[in-house]
Amino acid sequence: MTHFEDLYNRYAPQIFRVCLGYTNDADQAKDLVQETFISVWKNLDGFRNQAQVSTWIFRIATNHCLRAIEVAKRMPAAELPFELAETVEESPEEKLAFLYRCIAELEETERIIISLELEGLPQAQIAEVVGLSSGNIRVKVHRIKDKLAQKFKAYGQFR
Amino acid sequence: MDNLDDLKAIWHTAKTDALPSSQEMLQMIKKFRGQKLRNKWLMIALSLSLSIFLVSLLFTGHNKHYTTYIGGLLMALSAMLIAVTNLRSLKRFYQLDNCSNLEFVAFIEQTRQNQVYYYKKTMVVIYSLCLVGWMLFMYESLMKNPLWLVGTYSAFLIYMAVMWFIVRPRSFNKGAQKLKIMQQRLEGISNQLK
Repeated sequence: MTHFEDLYNRYAPQIFRVCLGYTNDADQAKDLVQETFISVWKNLDGFRNQAQVSTWIFRIATNHCLRAIEVAKRMPAAELPFELAETVEESPEEKLAFLYRCIAELEETERIIISLELEGLPQAQIAEVVGLSSGNIRVKVHRIKDKLAQKFKAYGQFR
Repeated sequence: MDNLDDLKAIWHTAKTDALPSSQEMLQMIKKFRGQKLRNKWLMIALSLSLSIFLVSLLFTGHNKHYTTYIGGLLMALSAMLIAVTNLRSLKRFYQLDNCSNLEFVAFIEQTRQNQVYYYKKTMVVIYSLCLVGWMLFMYESLMKNPLWLVGTYSAFLIYMAVMWFIVRPRSFNKGAQKLKIMQQRLEGISNQLK
């Protein structure tokens, strides 16, 4: 198995979840995974371990996310409807769909930061991906978490 | 549901089994590799070939007028300018393989500015060199027949006018809307990263 295949098998699911968190659209997320690994494949020879390989791959993936204008067009312009609380079941799929919708209401960089945080990346690594300081990321994660908690409470989810 | 670990638990329930296998991904990559930048490479190859062809034509031909040499060189120069502009743009793309989101946003903004500069400045120079160069280059072969001279020059000037006043603004306007959306998004994203 080649180095590329190792990288793909290891990181593709993670990249898919991050892209899905950003786009809230499975097809778009799959396209972004493909674009990410095209970039990885093209630049793998030139990659000289200046950074951790995972940081490098997440940088490529999140930059592709930021670039996708069509994603921005599909993002919900309004807040979630309040009636949702009465209709949503608490199955794992529903919980996941609700989490994605809440993330979709955040700003672009917030979507990236929380997706990387939920994926389990250390905050120092998130800082390297985004280009901000670790302290700044810590504050932002805290704020985003509060925003998400408020949304979950406001819509009466998963009490 | 205010615990990050709860959210992480939900997050990891996302199904990823619909992703292509690594073999399928490799096949897709081989199929699509370079497709995005193929037009740029094609443009570079074409303009360089044209430039070399024009220069070789000047050295191998039996031209007597200086206008033919000056015109040929001006056209070769305009073709070279197209090649250099596209090469610089490609170089920037290949340097992008490892940058943070912050650097990437700056890169996209620089690309947008380059596109505007290309439309407002570089294209003017390329069109002018090409227009003057072609007219000078063709003068020697057309001067013996005034009717052909006037007819060919008129047709060429009309063609250039259509390209300049109709095709060029239309193609820019198409891209301008995209650029405007991109600029607005970049401003938003830059503010988020402050």
